[in-house]
Amino acid sequence: MKTKRKWGIAGSVAVILALAGWLGYSSFQDALVYFYTPSEVVKLDDKFTGKRIRVGGIVEKGSMVMTAGTMKIDFRLSDGETVLPVAFEGVPPDLFKEGQGAVAEGFRDQNGNFHADLIMAKHSEDYMPIQMKREGKSMPKEDILKTLKK
Amino acid sequence: MTHVLGQFSIMLALALAAAGSLAAVTSIVTAQPAWVRSARNAIYLVFVLLTMAMGALEYAFLSHDYGLKYVADNSNNTLPGFYLATALWGGHEGSFLLWAWLLALYSAVAARLHWRTHPQAMPYLLAISSALLLGFLCLIVFLADPFEAAKIRAADGAGLNPLLQDPGMVFHPPFLYMGYVGFSIPFAFAMAALLRGKVNEEWIRATRRWTLFAWLMLTFGIVLGGYWAYYELGWGGYWAWDPVENASFMPWLVGTAFLHSVMVQETRRMFKIWNVFLIIATFSLTLLGAFLVRSGVVSSVHSFASDPGRGVFILSFMTIVLVFSFGTLVLRGDRLKSEVEIDSMVSRESAFLFNNLFFLVAMATVFVGTLYPLMLEAFTGSKVTVGAPYYNAVFLPIMLAMVVLMGIGPLLPWRKASPEVLARNTLLPAALAVLGTLATIAAGVHEIYPLFGLAVVYFVFGTILRDFHTGARGSQRREGLSYFSALLNAITRNKRRYGGLIVHFGVLMMIVGLIGSSVFRIEKDVVLKPGDSFALGSYEVQLKGVTEVSGPNYSGMAAILDVLQAGKQVVELRPEKRNYTTSSMPTTEAAINENWLRDIYLVLDKPTGDGLIIKGYLNPLVKWIWSGVMVIGLGTALSLWQRRRLMKEQA
Repeated sequence: MKTKRKWGIAGSVAVILALAGWLGYSSFQDALVYFYTPSEVVKLDDKFTGKRIRVGGIVEKGSMVMTAGTMKIDFRLSDGETVLPVAFEGVPPDLFKEGQGAVAEGFRDQNGNFHADLIMAKHSEDYMPIQMKREGKSMPKEDILKTLKK
Repeated sequence: MTHVLGQFSIMLALALAAAGSLAAVTSIVTAQPAWVRSARNAIYLVFVLLTMAMGALEYAFLSHDYGLKYVADNSNNTLPGFYLATALWGGHEGSFLLWAWLLALYSAVAARLHWRTHPQAMPYLLAISSALLLGFLCLIVFLADPFEAAKIRAADGAGLNPLLQDPGMVFHPPFLYMGYVGFSIPFAFAMAALLRGKVNEEWIRATRRWTLFAWLMLTFGIVLGGYWAYYELGWGGYWAWDPVENASFMPWLVGTAFLHSVMVQETRRMFKIWNVFLIIATFSLTLLGAFLVRSGVVSSVHSFASDPGRGVFILSFMTIVLVFSFGTLVLRGDRLKSEVEIDSMVSRESAFLFNNLFFLVAMATVFVGTLYPLMLEAFTGSKVTVGAPYYNAVFLPIMLAMVVLMGIGPLLPWRKASPEVLARNTLLPAALAVLGTLATIAAGVHEIYPLFGLAVVYFVFGTILRDFHTGARGSQRREGLSYFSALLNAITRNKRRYGGLIVHFGVLMMIVGLIGSSVFRIEKDVVLKPGDSFALGSYEVQLKGVTEVSGPNYSGMAAILDVLQAGKQVVELRPEKRNYTTSSMPTTEAAINENWLRDIYLVLDKPTGDGLIIKGYLNPLVKWIWSGVMVIGLGTALSLWQRRRLMKEQA
């Protein structure tokens, strides 16, 4: 009787753990969103087409085109080597500006165009030492890209 | 001048914490009471010194002393008084100081409270408290000094991040720390019991109220964070499985498991090793939280400029705590064999066992989701985020199971339940669940997951009502009182049980809110010209115009929007876009109209062409979340109120 009860409890615990593990495992891969730079995105092979990814870079000066009366914004993200055109529809965050860092989440279509429905802007000024800001220095581009990856 | 006083205080406090640790260890080795007294007095003095340091820093903020780097970085001349006073914990250095001050406060209070009642455990308590203080003070003095002098004394400060200028954000960190630090006292008691080799129920009885208090503060802290995100960040949500949110959620999950499982040891003398394990895990997770938030390894609204030195320090500190506490547990664990075993699958103790299992599975889920990206980046360099679908997939079923258990558990007797009695006790609640679910379907809810969730909520609600009713009836029979005073009588007689049930009721309210606001939420992004309108659920929102707004340290614009239902005006809302004078970053001020059924949540974005982009959310039942937490606070307070005279420990 006593051993039977013990096995009953151990068995239920094992079943619950297995179920929870399976739920976690099966949803894990799909919930992962990878981060790439524009140079990495253009090199991705076709199996990434349509998969949700994040791309981070600097919004190129002069690249932002807003279609008046709609929520469409086209812009280009650059990492210094490669420039990736992004078509975005939605409401960008307050910090989204040309010359600033931004992370776009979305997917790449068959033609290699990137469609984003979510933008996270990074306020690069906040990521540099305040002394530098006071002295009026600007942050090197590599450092901005590094903070974007964070 | 202030920075001299402050620096002097923290350095002296560091020296005293070191001396106190030595004195306490000496008292353990030599068993001389004079050393215990010195160790205690050292803790009292550390508290006094840290209070002076807090006072000095506060004074520096209020007097705009930009000779201090920390003050210059986190405030400026136009910052309103309230935010100026609370900017003390607006950055890393001040937060660490607040943390250390709370630790000193709690340690001093614990030393005073338990001095007479727990003389044998006292040297160990003092040793552990002073060692923890020593660790935090090393961090403050050597790596995060809030009294560091500025290189150049600026005429004005850099200002406080506008996002932090909100009451929710002002109180979020102190509550969180009151919770985090609160768990260090039960931890110290557990370690004392373990080191003395006397793991009876004494340490659990002594720390019951410490644990409850810490748990409540942590709960408030976490919810205040969500409240702030909801009202200030303007994305219409309150929880995003952000690594920093997870950092505070993990100790909460294990702390909640601990809160429940100690009851088994108290009544049945089981789960002894397990309880020590849980409190060590809870305390270590609070340190992990500090590491994740304060070292800058994860990115979020919380972690700005980061300093790798601090991360390394906190990580090493955590490693020492883990090695020391788990090492002691392994070495002394053999003395902790339970004398009894679980008698039946259907009993209170097995309900607690499964409760613990679910809480720990939940914690493991959050742990993996939070740390996997860090590990992956450390080993492969790939950067990845774990999205909400993973958490939802695991959490929804676990939460359902936990809520069912929350209804059945309190009904079950210790040792062994008879299935007939259980069936009789759950009959009415089950009937209520069926009726409630049918009513919900009739009201137009047809999705399967929320229906299932609500059915469980109705069931548990029924069991709680039934419990109160039985208590009132019993008291009525015995004392011949009116129903209402009999109910009050029953509650005051057993504050702990009814307090717990009220907490469960608060949890149900929160779950109703969580289901409503996640499943039935409506979100719309539109472009409006003055006179245009859009439909939001059964409401119609019309743009009337735009106006300028200004405040003490910002200016901006507001959209004037009419919310109509069936052609009649419900309310006029004015979401704002603000530009703070000291920051180049504009902020969004959402306009919210709330009642028990739904929140209408409107956000103004920038103009496009001759129109304005407006985001509209209809968030059902959000108020239930905030109110549920108040009920949880009420129930915990009732439970805390039941004081058991602190019994003298047996020698």
